[in-house]
Amino acid sequence: MGFWAAVWDLLTTSDHKKVGMIYLVTSFVAFGLSGLMAVAIRWQLAGPERQFLVGDAYNQVLTLHGATMLFFFIIPAGLSGFGNFILPLMLGERDVALPRINAFAAWLFVFSAALLYTSLFFGGAPDVGWTFYYPFSRTTGLGTDFFMMGVLLVGLSSLLGAANFAATVYNLRAKGMGLWKMPIFVWAIFATSMLSLFALAGITAASLTVLLSRKLGLSLFDPVIGGDPVLFQQFFWFYSHPAVYIMLLPYLGIAAEVSSTFARKPVFGYRFMVFALVGIAVVGFLVWAHHMFTVGESLLFQLVFVFFTVLVAVPTGVKIFNLLGTLWGGQLDFKTPLLFVMGFMFNFLLGGITGVMLAVVPFDYQVQDSYFVVAHFHNVLMAGSGFLAFAGLYYWWPKITGRMYPEFWGKVHFWLFLVGYLITFMPQYVLGFLGMPRRYYTYPDGLYLWNELNFASTVGAVILALGGIAWLIAMVQSFRQNVKAPDNPWGGYTLEWATSSPPPSYNFAVQFPTVFKSERPLYDWEKEGLKPTPVDPATIHLPAPTVWPFMTAVGLLITGIGISLAPNLGNAPVGGVAGWGGWLAVGLVLFIYSLFQWALRKEYDHPVVHHTVTGKSNAWVGMAWFIVSEIALFGILIAGYLYLRLTGAAVPPEDHRPALWLALLNTFFLVASSFTVHYAHHDLRTNKFSPFKLGMLISILLGVVFFLFQIWEFAIASGHYVEALNAAGQSEAAQKAALWFTAFFLIVGLHGAHVLIGGTGLALAYAQGLAGKIDSHEQGTLEGSSMYWHLVDAVWLFIVTIFYIW
Amino acid sequence: MLQRSLGLIVLLLLGLVLAAEPGQAGGHTLNILDRDASAFNREVRGLLVWVMGFAALVFVVVTGALVYVTVKFRRTGKETGEPEQLHGNDRLEVAWTVIPTVIVLIIFGLTAQSMFKLDRPTPGAMVVEVRGWQFWWDFHYKDYGVRNSNELILPVGKPVRFEITGGDGTNYDVIHSFRIASMVGARDAIPGVVTHIEVTPEKIGTYYGQCVELCGASHANMRFRVKVVPQEEFDRWIEGARAFQAAQPTDPTLVRGQELYKQQCAGCHALKGVSQGAPSNPDLTFFGNRTTVGAGMWPNVPEYLEPWIKNSPGMKPGVKMPAFPNLSDEDVKAIAAYLMSHKVEGLDFSKLEKF
Repeated sequence: MGFWAAVWDLLTTSDHKKVGMIYLVTSFVAFGLSGLMAVAIRWQLAGPERQFLVGDAYNQVLTLHGATMLFFFIIPAGLSGFGNFILPLMLGERDVALPRINAFAAWLFVFSAALLYTSLFFGGAPDVGWTFYYPFSRTTGLGTDFFMMGVLLVGLSSLLGAANFAATVYNLRAKGMGLWKMPIFVWAIFATSMLSLFALAGITAASLTVLLSRKLGLSLFDPVIGGDPVLFQQFFWFYSHPAVYIMLLPYLGIAAEVSSTFARKPVFGYRFMVFALVGIAVVGFLVWAHHMFTVGESLLFQLVFVFFTVLVAVPTGVKIFNLLGTLWGGQLDFKTPLLFVMGFMFNFLLGGITGVMLAVVPFDYQVQDSYFVVAHFHNVLMAGSGFLAFAGLYYWWPKITGRMYPEFWGKVHFWLFLVGYLITFMPQYVLGFLGMPRRYYTYPDGLYLWNELNFASTVGAVILALGGIAWLIAMVQSFRQNVKAPDNPWGGYTLEWATSSPPPSYNFAVQFPTVFKSERPLYDWEKEGLKPTPVDPATIHLPAPTVWPFMTAVGLLITGIGISLAPNLGNAPVGGVAGWGGWLAVGLVLFIYSLFQWALRKEYDHPVVHHTVTGKSNAWVGMAWFIVSEIALFGILIAGYLYLRLTGAAVPPEDHRPALWLALLNTFFLVASSFTVHYAHHDLRTNKFSPFKLGMLISILLGVVFFLFQIWEFAIASGHYVEALNAAGQSEAAQKAALWFTAFFLIVGLHGAHVLIGGTGLALAYAQGLAGKIDSHEQGTLEGSSMYWHLVDAVWLFIVTIFYIW
Repeated sequence: MLQRSLGLIVLLLLGLVLAAEPGQAGGHTLNILDRDASAFNREVRGLLVWVMGFAALVFVVVTGALVYVTVKFRRTGKETGEPEQLHGNDRLEVAWTVIPTVIVLIIFGLTAQSMFKLDRPTPGAMVVEVRGWQFWWDFHYKDYGVRNSNELILPVGKPVRFEITGGDGTNYDVIHSFRIASMVGARDAIPGVVTHIEVTPEKIGTYYGQCVELCGASHANMRFRVKVVPQEEFDRWIEGARAFQAAQPTDPTLVRGQELYKQQCAGCHALKGVSQGAPSNPDLTFFGNRTTVGAGMWPNVPEYLEPWIKNSPGMKPGVKMPAFPNLSDEDVKAIAAYLMSHKVEGLDFSKLEKF
């Protein structure tokens, strides 16, 4: 295959392995890049008052380092990278549930990283820290707009990816593999996907509101109209703490697989491992405010979060003890992956201990935003999850590339990383005790031990960089030496080792035995003498390649650039780079066009029969899980509104309230359209095409009428909003009305956007109907979009209640 | 190889812990656990003793197991057959769930107890309103109607309640966080919100204040100093400050300085009896008493003060004060001398330890 043919193949593929590769390559490149930024940061801090990176330049590097490491390395590498490549193999399947959505999500992920870095060409990267606290994030330059757009897009990508994983685990498992026979890694990906779907709304709400505050001046957090800046932090950490577990759980899965394989034993306490995973995922939702102990919340509020914060240490500890149990009594083969797991256990232990220390609130007051915290989260994320990302990379390298790697260089890499890590970060704990705050680009000479410890830390960073070089050598040497990897080089027990290295596009040309005694099918089958039966690869059909998911993502990238460059009519410094409208128009047209092209291309060229475990279609299960995230998004924003309303900060204006009769009329349209969609869907299932098409058309038109009425309503309301805003300085009632209007536009407007998205979904199904692409058997996007439309309807009923009636 | 490295690591850790004990050499020590400075620090120390005790226990058990596993179960190549295929042990699972639960519940109880203790307001505490601005601190002694920027004078042994906000309640700034290292923990300065923390300083001396929430280009340059002085000295200062009115200068340099001040500085800065300024800029009234310039950045001596007046953006990125390239060196010297002439007489805070 020539170079361009290979590129075209990549752009059009929906093969989960290639999709996994897109994630893996992007995220490990991101690791290297932001690792270099970390070295730059340490270079600036090697001594007092250095001039290498000063002020804003430092803050930009700091922000890019954090954002890139978190959003583009540690979250995706394990979940999306190894998850995509390995999970379907472990399940003994040919593909994921939603292969084209999956490819789209991968490109969207790549482009959101690209969007973040595009800011460099328009006046500089974001400099607000990866946490983009409000109101700081509305006072800064254009880089922040790109950052917010990037976060929104990467969030959408994560949600689609997570819904796909959830649907895959639900629907696609080798015949006979029950939930309790899935490998731990699959459980880990499953639990992580749940977490993403429930939690991601927090950061979507946070970044959306900051973007709207900058672009349109709509802000729930603005103290000028009585908003609460702390509410931003509630939104932000509602995601960003569970995100810590999104950054951890997939890697704990890797640790379990590696330990079991290299100890030649089953995982110890399989069920408890799963309970612990799920326990972490559940308790992880109730700890977010431990990032906010210094914002002055009430004692009771703080205590609740202390309680759950210390409690989450228990299931985390159970994971570690079970890993130890897995190794205990084994025949440990200290290859590079196992070394990284050992390094992880030691470092994660330190990170866990210091984490419990940080839950001791009076101590937390003292070390809030100090180097103690920096050392703690690097202990957990870098030498914790990061080490396990490398364990996974070396473990599956032969499977992914088809080549062995040089063990020597892998080990050099490990030791340099371990030693470099400890020398970099142990001094930082001490610096925390000695009063050094984080995110400082400079420090004065003459504070006890600051110079020495900072210098040591920089030396450690240089050793880490050398470790990075050893890693590169290991990879390059692997390709140069070209030692062919056998199917199962480590004696692994799970199904990814039951195919060639690298696996063929169809993964397996066999029918597996249907007896699963434990989570180690290969071990059990060997004991019982069961063998897979060969299948003729010519009878296997895979999804047809299509470039349109890729093009749709390109459309969103260009749209994102357009929105980022648009003028800031809100409080932020004026943006409005010439040509923004062009970017936006081109982006939107390309997006819509590609989306329709995608919808009009059938997934398979050949008629295929899908067998799913649940009996529900993949689209149905995927959309059901996606809807969880939509409910969470409205839930979190509405919770914010309720808070402002119940504390009396937001009060609807007596005389200029949006009209209830209009809302009720709109309710009628929307509810009616839900019925027409339902009947249209029913008609399709019973092969009545004409009524189906008519029903779809009527539904779409009802949606359009709703939308037009809403625009009219918004036009009127915006006049009253501006009035209230202008009077906010003089009158308390006007101030409260302004905040109420802000919430109104934000939440009702977001619902309006959902009407638009849902209507587009219906239009896609309608277009498929007109083109004769769907029938009772192959329902295209209708299953998903009708379900989504019902959601839009249900949310509207809530909105009428809390905005028009209450 | 692994054992030796682990040994090395333990040694390294020990060394670091020992190094953390405040020593004699190497400049001023910031020590967040300074037991002599405040009851707050002693409370934190008391908690840490417990936590570190449990931490040591957990650390020893887990690293011990790690080392044991590494040494004992390393593959030798001489094994025959597979290791015992053990799938788990329910008793062990219960043990390592229950024991950590008990430990964390004890830690929770101690923490809660301590939080209640620290949260109790002290009657009769002196109220100081703290306002965070990009990139400096403003202090208002509410009980006395005295304002001072970037330097906080506190009497020893007297409880003080800080009421902290971002901006001044009308003009809003970004979020900052107020921390006096070595004395009391951080509390955020949030626009539109008033937070508070209390402490009783117990040791006379200079303390180092910091901003600990990322707030912009000069987040690292947003410091302040706290001078904890005897009650008698504090009383003299606060009385002098309340009675203060800027005198009309007679010295020709100071007259020139005053003229320039009124032209160039008075629009933004307050100087009691001379200019109102705006609340979003530092008060310059007691400049002659200040030990630092540029928000706790440099010693308040002409060597730093003069270039600061002329070109502060060149010294501190993102600072809102513009450069004054039109001022001659003489002009700058005159302004500096004029500023330094304003002070409460008979006080010298620079005799406290400097850093």
